[in-house]
Amino acid sequence: MLLRRSGLPSSAQTLTTGAARFDAALGGGLPLGALTEIHGRQTRDAGAVAGFTLALCVRARKADSRESPLLWITCSEVIAEAGRPYAPGLIHRFGLSASSILLADIHRLEDALWVAEEAASLSGFSAVILEIRGHSRKLDLTATRRLHRRAQNAARPFFLLRQAGLPEPTAAPVRLIVSPAPAGERRVLSRFLTGSIGPPAFLAEIGRSRSAIPAKAVLEWNQDECAFHERPDLADGAQDFGAVAALSGERPHFAHPVGAQLALRKIA
Amino acid sequence: MRTRLGRNWRCARSPDALRPPLVISHRDSNAQRVAAICEQSAALGLRRGLGIADIRAMYPQVEIVEAEPDADRRLLTSLADWCDRYTPLVAFAGSDGLFLDITGCAHLFGGEQAMLDDLGRRLTEQGFCARVGLASTPGMAWAAARFLKPVPVAPGDEAEALSPLPLAALRLEPALRTSLKSVGLRTVEAILHAPRPPLARRFGAGLLLRLDQALGAVDEAVSPRLPVAPISVERHLAEPVVQGEEVERLIFIMAGTLQEDLVRRGEGARSLQLSLFRVDGVVKRLVVGASRPLREPALVLKLFRERLTALGEMEAGCGFELIRLSVMAAARFEPEQSDMVAGSRSDDADLALFADRIRARLGNEAILAMTLVESHLPERAVANMPFTGQSISASPETAMRERPIRLLPHPEPVDVAMAEIPEGPPRNFRWRRVLYRVARAEGPERIAPEWWLGGEDDEPTRDYFRVEDEDGRRFWIYRHGLYGAPTGTPRWFLHGLFA
Repeated sequence: MLLRRSGLPSSAQTLTTGAARFDAALGGGLPLGALTEIHGRQTRDAGAVAGFTLALCVRARKADSRESPLLWITCSEVIAEAGRPYAPGLIHRFGLSASSILLADIHRLEDALWVAEEAASLSGFSAVILEIRGHSRKLDLTATRRLHRRAQNAARPFFLLRQAGLPEPTAAPVRLIVSPAPAGERRVLSRFLTGSIGPPAFLAEIGRSRSAIPAKAVLEWNQDECAFHERPDLADGAQDFGAVAALSGERPHFAHPVGAQLALRKIA
Repeated sequence: MRTRLGRNWRCARSPDALRPPLVISHRDSNAQRVAAICEQSAALGLRRGLGIADIRAMYPQVEIVEAEPDADRRLLTSLADWCDRYTPLVAFAGSDGLFLDITGCAHLFGGEQAMLDDLGRRLTEQGFCARVGLASTPGMAWAAARFLKPVPVAPGDEAEALSPLPLAALRLEPALRTSLKSVGLRTVEAILHAPRPPLARRFGAGLLLRLDQALGAVDEAVSPRLPVAPISVERHLAEPVVQGEEVERLIFIMAGTLQEDLVRRGEGARSLQLSLFRVDGVVKRLVVGASRPLREPALVLKLFRERLTALGEMEAGCGFELIRLSVMAAARFEPEQSDMVAGSRSDDADLALFADRIRARLGNEAILAMTLVESHLPERAVANMPFTGQSISASPETAMRERPIRLLPHPEPVDVAMAEIPEGPPRNFRWRRVLYRVARAEGPERIAPEWWLGGEDDEPTRDYFRVEDEDGRRFWIYRHGLYGAPTGTPRWFLHGLFA
C-alpha cells in the first residue's frame, strides 16, 4: 500500500535520532524530505543548536549512499554574533571532512532565502541548513511552505535554524527546541572520569509536530556509533537512582529501600 | 572638465559662443605652461609652451584649467574600451593615442577606407577631436594620423608618404630632434637616403630603429591592452536595445552561435564575457565564470540572468547598439553519456551549476569551501576559499585536537573575576554582560604564537580551556599571558562555542 500525501508518495523514509524513546515520541523519526525547524532560545546557545543539527545531518549523510556534501547557509549577522562554522571542530566532533561542507555566507536575508530555495530543490546535497537569527517577516508561512515543498520533491532534509527566536507559524511539520545540557563524562578504561567534559548533550523538546506527542529528552551524541543516546536525566520515574539493597535469596519480596533512619526518643 | 560639462560639451552648439577660450596648464620645469589649447584659443594665437602668466596678462578672458593626467588616462582607457568594437587588439600609443590592430577586421566594416571614416565620424560625434591614420606599420600609422589626411597608406608606399614629413613624424625624442635640426636635417627625406653608418654613429641607433619601424623593415609588436578572447560573437544592432528581455534574447541567440564553435573545437567555456556598447560610447562588461565547461545556451543565459538581476538597473540610457559575447577561457569538454532511463544530469553538474549561479549573482565570496591550513593558531587553521567545483583535499584530517564547532570572528574579551592562580581555569566569567559560573573545566592547552612566521616577539602565549557552565553551555576561553609575568595582568578571551 502506498500512502499518498498531497500527491507525493509518502514512503516510510524517516530520519531517526537513534534514541528509541525519542524517535517513538516523534512518530518514528523526523520526516526525511521535509523542512524541519530547529529553535534555539538564545544566541549563546548557538553552539548547542548547531551541534544538534549537524549531528542530524551526519545521520542523514550516513543514510545517503553517495555521501554528498552539506550546504550551510548563514546570514552574516549570525556569523558576527555566534561565530562561523569551524572545520577542525567539525572534523573532531562529527567526523565531517572539510570538503564535505559548503558554506554560503550571505549578507541579506532575501538573498539567503533565494539561495536556500535553489539549494532545497537540488538532490546533490545530503542536507541543507539555513541559519537565521531572530524574527523576520520575509520568512513567513509562504516562504517556509516553498522551502518545504522543494525539500519534499528533492527528498532531502532541510533544516531551518532559528537562533534567538520565538516560535512563529511556519509550514514545517516538526519543530524542535534545542538547548544545551551538561555533557557526559569521558570514559577512560571503562570508567568515567569525574569532572571531565565528554560527549556533548542536548535538551531536545518537541515544540510542534502533527504526529508526535509533546516530549522532552536529554540526548547525548555518540560519535563512534554515530547516534544519539538518551540520558535518563529527564525520563520521569522510569529509572532508579543510586544503589538498592540486594535481593535477598530466600524471601519472596524485594528488600525495602533503605530510608532515612531517625533516632527517636523512647517514651517511657 | 568632461565630468563638469557633460559628455558632449564640445558638440553643444548653442552655448558655444558663450564659452570662453580654454587653456589647459601644466607644470613644466618649475613654471606653469600651456599643455593644450582649444580651437578658440588657437585662433587667439596662443600655442603650447607659453607661460600661463603671460596669457593671463594678454587675454584675461581665457579660462585656465589645471591638467589632470590621471583623468586623461581614464578617458583614454574608456576610449580604448570603446574601440574594442573594431578590433580586440587595442593598445595605448603614449599618453594621447591608441593603436588598433585591424588585421582581418577591415572587411567587417566595408573596407579600410570605410572603417577609417566610420571611426573618425563616431569619434567626432562623441565630441572628440581625433585624427586617424591607417598604414601597414604602427610607426607609419602614427605618422599618418598626425601629419596626413585620413586615407590609408598602401603597403610599399611608406617611404614616399614619409619623405615630405618633418622628423617629428618618426616618434623621436625632442632632444634628438633638436640636434638633428641643428645640422640642417628637418624632414624625413633628408635622412632617408643619407648613408646610415654616420647617422647611427652621430645620433644613436634609436633614429634608425624608428625609421626602419616606420618603413616596415623592422617588426614592431603592439601589445594589446586586454586579453584576446579565443571565440566571440557580436551583433550590431540597427535599433539600440533598452529592455533587459531583449538583451537576454540576444544572449541566447549568440550563445547558440558560440555553441557551434565550441562543439567544433571540442571545448566548453569556463569564463564568458558580455560586452554591452552603449550608444554614447560607454562600454559595460559582465563576466561570469563556470566551474565546469559549458556550452548549452540555456545555461549560459541562466548565469547571465543572475548577473543581470544582481546588477539591478541596467543603466541602458539610450540603449545598446552593439552586444558581444566572448569566451574568455575554454577547457576541454567531456561529453557525457546520458542515462536513457532517468535522462537527468548528474548531481555534480547540478551542484556546479548551482554554485556558478550563486557566484554570478552574489559574488565570488558567496559560496565557500573550507580548507585546512597547517597552523597552530586556531584562527589561521582554516581558510575559507571560494568554491570552484573541485573539492580541495589532501589536507591532514587525522589526529585533530578538540576544537569548537563555531569560532567567533574575533576573540571577545571576557571579565574574569576569579581564576585559579597561577594557571587554572576561571571560576566564573562575564561575557556580553552575562555572568557564567563554570561548573567544569578542562585544560589548559597552551598555544604559542607562530614566531617563525615573524611578527611581534613579545606576543604572550594563550592557554585555552574548555569550560562548561551550569546550564551545559560549552565555551572555549583562553588566558592571554601569564599571571605574575612582567607584561602585566593577563586578559581573558572567549574564542569559540562547542557543540
